[in-house]
Amino acid sequence: MEWHIPSLKELEHFIWRCTACGTCKVAYDYGPPSTCADICPAGTEFGFEGAMASKGKIAFARGILDGSLEWDEDLINSVYQCTICGGCQSQCQLDHKPYIPEIIEGMRREAVEAGAGPLPAHKNLVQSLKSYNNPYQGPRRLRTDWARPFKKAGQPIKDLNKESAPVMFFVGCTGAFNQASRQIPQATASVFQKLGLDFGILGENEVCCGSTAMRVGDAAEFKRIAEHNLELFAKMHKERGVNTIVSSCAGCYRAIKKDYALAADYDKLMDGIKVVHTSEFLYDLHRQGKLPLSGGLQLTVTYHDPCHIGRHLNKFIVDTEGKELWPGAYVGLDESECLYDQPRELLKAIPGVKLEEMKRVRANSYCCGGGGGVMTGFGEWATKNAGLRVAEGESTGAGVMVSTCPFCNYNLGQGAKRIGSAMQVLDLVELIDQVLPKK
Amino acid sequence: MGTATAKKMDPVLAELVSIVGAENATNAKHIRYAYSYDLSFVEPKLPDYVVMVHNVEQIQGVLRFANREKIPVVPYTAGTNIGGLCIPERGGILMDLKRMNKIIEIDPESLVAVIEPGVSHAQLAAALYEHNLRFGWPVGPPSASVASCAISHGIGGMNARYGLQSQEITSMEVVLPTGELVRVGSCAINPDAWHSVLPLPQMDGLFKGWLGTTGVVTKLGINVHHIPPVLKIFTVSCDTVEDMYSYMLNLSNYEICDDLTAVSWWLSQVPIPYPYKPMPAGASEWFSYATTYSFTEKEREARVEIWEKVVAEEKAKGTSIQVTHYPEEALAARTKLPSQIVGSTKNYCKQGGAGISWPGTFTPAKKWAPVYNDWKKILIEHNLSPSVRMSMYRGVHYGMLRAMIPFNKQSKQETENARHAIVECLKVDLAHGGMPYKPPVDFAREINGRAHPGYLSLLKQIKALLDPNDIMNPGKLGI
Ligand SMILES: Cc1cc2nc3c(=O)[nH]c(=O)nc-3n(C[C@H](O)[C@H](O)[C@H](O)COP(=O)(O)OP(=O)(O)OC[C@H]3O[C@@H](n4cnc5c(N)ncnc54)[C@H](O)[C@@H]3O)c2cc1C
Ligand code: SF4
Ligand code: SF4
Repeated sequence: MEWHIPSLKELEHFIWRCTACGTCKVAYDYGPPSTCADICPAGTEFGFEGAMASKGKIAFARGILDGSLEWDEDLINSVYQCTICGGCQSQCQLDHKPYIPEIIEGMRREAVEAGAGPLPAHKNLVQSLKSYNNPYQGPRRLRTDWARPFKKAGQPIKDLNKESAPVMFFVGCTGAFNQASRQIPQATASVFQKLGLDFGILGENEVCCGSTAMRVGDAAEFKRIAEHNLELFAKMHKERGVNTIVSSCAGCYRAIKKDYALAADYDKLMDGIKVVHTSEFLYDLHRQGKLPLSGGLQLTVTYHDPCHIGRHLNKFIVDTEGKELWPGAYVGLDESECLYDQPRELLKAIPGVKLEEMKRVRANSYCCGGGGGVMTGFGEWATKNAGLRVAEGESTGAGVMVSTCPFCNYNLGQGAKRIGSAMQVLDLVELIDQVLPKK
Repeated sequence: MGTATAKKMDPVLAELVSIVGAENATNAKHIRYAYSYDLSFVEPKLPDYVVMVHNVEQIQGVLRFANREKIPVVPYTAGTNIGGLCIPERGGILMDLKRMNKIIEIDPESLVAVIEPGVSHAQLAAALYEHNLRFGWPVGPPSASVASCAISHGIGGMNARYGLQSQEITSMEVVLPTGELVRVGSCAINPDAWHSVLPLPQMDGLFKGWLGTTGVVTKLGINVHHIPPVLKIFTVSCDTVEDMYSYMLNLSNYEICDDLTAVSWWLSQVPIPYPYKPMPAGASEWFSYATTYSFTEKEREARVEIWEKVVAEEKAKGTSIQVTHYPEEALAARTKLPSQIVGSTKNYCKQGGAGISWPGTFTPAKKWAPVYNDWKKILIEHNLSPSVRMSMYRGVHYGMLRAMIPFNKQSKQETENARHAIVECLKVDLAHGGMPYKPPVDFAREINGRAHPGYLSLLKQIKALLDPNDIMNPGKLGI
């Protein structure tokens, strides 16, 4: 399959658009009232300009391209000390803005090709992908452990390998293999069953989405997985009538929607299949009056926007041919696909729930600190950063921090423990499950 | 950083680690590389070490050590000065002060704020806003330092009313290159009094405009101001620089504006055209915006009355003045400050790419027109847009005359072309009595070449007195 994954060299022109102005270092809004806050987890932790936001990462990219910098342990560490959250990207206004995460991942791909990257911990993860098709070294047969209670209760979930259904629930490896996250696929499936939805799972045949491989710069492994999945999705569409893939994981959702789209055959293979995140899926039902929420929770919650279903879904309007401005000019932002409102609307729709916003939300959301291979590569820092986010949540007076990503959910939970916070970290579907009556 | 913990540690690094901790000192090349360049045409140069300091004691420790070992030290907050002023001429230790970012005090009654050097414009703006207070925000990056701007004679959005940022300084705490802690202004006499540098001898001058070559400022008192609720922006256009000057001179006499600025057509574009492109036929060459704040509607009406009188007078003189609409994004970029539009250099560099430098000068207002006309020729000859700004300072008839020159920094040729044009422009301005601010070394040489011998001698004596081993940002003064 042909792919358009740019090399660092191919991004060189954009790397030279960065002026080193440092505007990417803080989330600032004129208002009034004006607000200002840290936006870069790496900068917050490590502080040096090289660690700071896209200004720093682009400096490394320049140095690598102009031959000033060679791959050594220090450089490798710094290149991987980034959650690829895109917080810096939200601040920049120049022509390279659309490519900032690609530049960072481009460096990682360069490191992998040079045999210098990824980090040893990432290598284990990639090896696990190769051996087990998941990053958790989880044997295939354990992938459906989370679904056992449904079978026990006499409500087994359809296996798409054997039966047809229009909706495929793509569970994701974190929900399936990380014990602490299992309640997310369970709540999702429970909600779907309560709604009487005709859906199924790939069961033991589900393989990782490949997001982690892509984030750490192993394009070859990513492509292997993505090609497998794209072909499987097309087959499921043809043979099992799947027309919607629902993901409860922000990372998988982003990968299938955005990273897979780098394949030349994406449109062909995904023809007739819609990819949606649970929050979007449930919000649509809510809008149609088909999500009958009842009872009451009496909770004050705050909402953490995962990067992968928030600003990562920005569409950048670029004047590719130079018709309006000049070739490659960044013209503007289309945020219509960013899932900022849907989860909030759902939270507000839950009787008794009061939503209190943190200072850094939506495009300026402060990353939990777990993405971009950081949780694997720098676990201690990931948890520390999550603690900062939980503390921000605490300052709103909320007792629950809601998110829509098993990865954020896990990391924020660890962060809460680290700072001794009583904050409960839950996924949106867990709350919905509590207030959705059985049919 | 990894290298800091390497087995055989460089002895200088080992000493720095002992002062600031392993996490805050490094000689890793990629970290040094990220400090080796800025936006300007100034050639990149790497520091040998980088330290991040967190308190006065650490600064003293680093300076005592550097002074003893005669190692250069370059103070750094965000490196956005557009003059290569934090690019180390002679290597040494780059001292990053961004983590010293406490707002020590905001006194809404005395209208004074006391800040550490790492406090950014965005941070202070948000904090002051809670008291309905403001400062003269520059049209620069929100993440840049307030203190560095002020001690570098920076320019902000209230210059027509209160003067330069440096004129807002009320007191200072400084670590000298020898490590000695000193204070100037009222805080020197009473540690809690930060209200004024006068009537004591104005020793704050020893640290203002010196480009970080005489000490490290660790605390700064500045005047802050109320935000009156009613804003009116006067916008006019003129076909010639002479007509625009006439209007600005007239209006500045009434001292009713916070900011009285005019920009050439090229600078009013978002972004500045690169390379040069002619103005469209029929467009005015100059646009002016002037901000005026009032506490009541009546006050606003009185200010408008004055402005209308000025416009009528200018019309009666037969000038080309017109009350006009100022391009919207450009106006927002310059009046809603601090601004991400200008901060991210969108309005300056988006077409040019990566590079920006300026002949930025304080020039007598009556010389603006002849200097501009010469600059225009030079810049167009270099295929660069004459994107020029003129701003009146504190009702006094001199002010900023500056050409913002974006260029494609990926190309050595285009960078050199911009540098050459800018230095040529500077020579014209110096000949008319103008003076560059935040001067890169190229400019410093031009200034010193023209300076009175007594000025240079005094400069050297003061520098030697304060910095006997010439460790502070050496080479930047061009002496
Ligand atoms: C797009 C753009 C627009 C700009 N517009 C304006 C404008 O309108 N007005 C304006 O004034 N500036 C402007 N600037 C320049 C610059 O942004 C400001 O002057 C800024 O506030 C400088 O802060 P900094 O943190 O970047 O300082 P740096 O560049 O880090 O430092 C500036 C100088 O101060 C020295 N220094 C730093 N800290 C200390 C210390 N604690 N003690 C002693 N010396 C120290 C440094 O060695 C250096 O010489 C602009 C810059 C850009 C990129
Ligand atoms: S990435 Fe954008 S905002 Fe950051 S320094 Fe570069 S140009 Fe400025
Ligand atoms: S992507 Fe996130 S962590 Fe990485 S440099 Fe940007 S803001 Fe920092």
